[in-house]
Amino acid sequence: MTIIDGADAPYWEGLAEGRLHLPRCAGCSRWLWPAVSRCGHCGSEDIAWVERAMAGTIFSWTRTWHRFALTEDIDLPYVSAVITVDDCGIRLLGRIDDPGQVDPVIGESVQGRIGKTHVAGRDIPTIIWSRG
Amino acid sequence: MHPLYGTTAVAGIGLKQYKRGASPLPEQGVLVEAILDACADAGFDPAEVDGFVSYGDDRNEPVRLMSALGTRELRWSSSIWGGGGGGVAGAFGLAAAAILSGQASAVIVFRALVEGSSGRLSAAVMAHHLNDHMLAAGVVAPAQVCAIRANRLYQHHQVPQAVAAELVRASYYHGARNPEAIAYGKPFDPAEIAASRWIAEPFHLFDCSRENDGAGAFLMVSAERARDLAKPPVYLLGCANGAEKGWGDLLENDDEALYPSAGFRPIARRLYTETGLKPAEIDVVQLYENFSAQGVASLIDHGFCDYDNVAEVIRFENLIAPSGRLPVNTGGGNFAQGFIHGIGTAYEAVKQLRGESANPVPGARTCLLAGGPGAPTVSSAIFGNVIP
Repeated sequence: MTIIDGADAPYWEGLAEGRLHLPRCAGCSRWLWPAVSRCGHCGSEDIAWVERAMAGTIFSWTRTWHRFALTEDIDLPYVSAVITVDDCGIRLLGRIDDPGQVDPVIGESVQGRIGKTHVAGRDIPTIIWSRG
Repeated sequence: MHPLYGTTAVAGIGLKQYKRGASPLPEQGVLVEAILDACADAGFDPAEVDGFVSYGDDRNEPVRLMSALGTRELRWSSSIWGGGGGGVAGAFGLAAAAILSGQASAVIVFRALVEGSSGRLSAAVMAHHLNDHMLAAGVVAPAQVCAIRANRLYQHHQVPQAVAAELVRASYYHGARNPEAIAYGKPFDPAEIAASRWIAEPFHLFDCSRENDGAGAFLMVSAERARDLAKPPVYLLGCANGAEKGWGDLLENDDEALYPSAGFRPIARRLYTETGLKPAEIDVVQLYENFSAQGVASLIDHGFCDYDNVAEVIRFENLIAPSGRLPVNTGGGNFAQGFIHGIGTAYEAVKQLRGESANPVPGARTCLLAGGPGAPTVSSAIFGNVIP
């Protein structure tokens, strides 16, 4: 279950349909993230949700080894990352496949697929990124 | 001159600190003890305290303290927004604002944290921020958020990771020599940092602060009134709090140049402008280190070094009292003095400027207190034992 109650609702609805939808100001064409109800640059309240490919580059990452509360159902260690989505520049939080524990490289290209993360007692749609 | 410059002062301090889970009293009881200590330190009747301010979602609403303290009239109470330690220095500025505007005359700045009463601090801080984007990435703890930024600082901006160990080592060096510190009397081998277990790369256990139970309290009054109290005044010379455009709670979409910073660039700019002081005029620094890399970023943000010369400045020998040119965390800092959401760093700032520190910096006149780095809103303050 995903809690859909904010300005980012179309993002979660998109993932549920297998697509990546991201918000762009219809007034000044800037990509806006986190999702907002009004563009702080130009003042427009006309926000368009536009599909982007699940392709990007690694902006930064961490590999978690400690068993933090809420993460009991995620196998350790796991890699969390900030990914810059191609053709829009929005950075998304996600996870990267880490089969051989080879350290990710900032700037490296990644391809995403929609998976899920069981955390805090529920499944949340998640973009899982793969390298190479 | 800016209205905050030398017009209010810390007149009394109190700190109660225990191992996490070991407090002999519930949170409110420990807090009351710390406040009574701060008032006794100043020779001030606790019943005359008429204002209170905290930060970081402290759960002790001041009106509930009135019975135990014998408070005659509560005239002002407030808190700095934000769940992290970013507000610790800002709370002193807020207290000063209340005093200077006549809303209160004697204000206690405080932070209390007892696990048995409030649970784990790390969980409380994250509860303030957590959303499904973070949960889905398995990012649930401050250590992970700061780790992602640290990797950017080290791998993209080429800050050598070794400097973080220098900072950790300096904190433990001072803590080992401070009888009030958790690390007192414990020799520290810097090899322990890399040998300790991974938490979230690039952080090992020793790159992380560890929580304590306890409470800290500071009595603030006007500078004029402070001069009549028992201890020499420690003046607030300046304080700034906030965030600039491109920084904040932005799901990691901060401005690219600000991303690896600790958020203090606008704070430092204002602080130095409003006090007329420069980094070279800061004699000692009390630095909130939640994690080692954020401590490094905080020193960079405050103008003590930059990406190019960071390894020349953040060296163990340069960071320790009495001989270093940039003594940092002379009480041991959050790492080694103890971590009650950073309030211990403010305590050491006052002790240092009174000449009461276990690791005195000879002739120190000014001390920078840098609040919790990397928080969406951060704050810093400069204190002085003179008004330069």
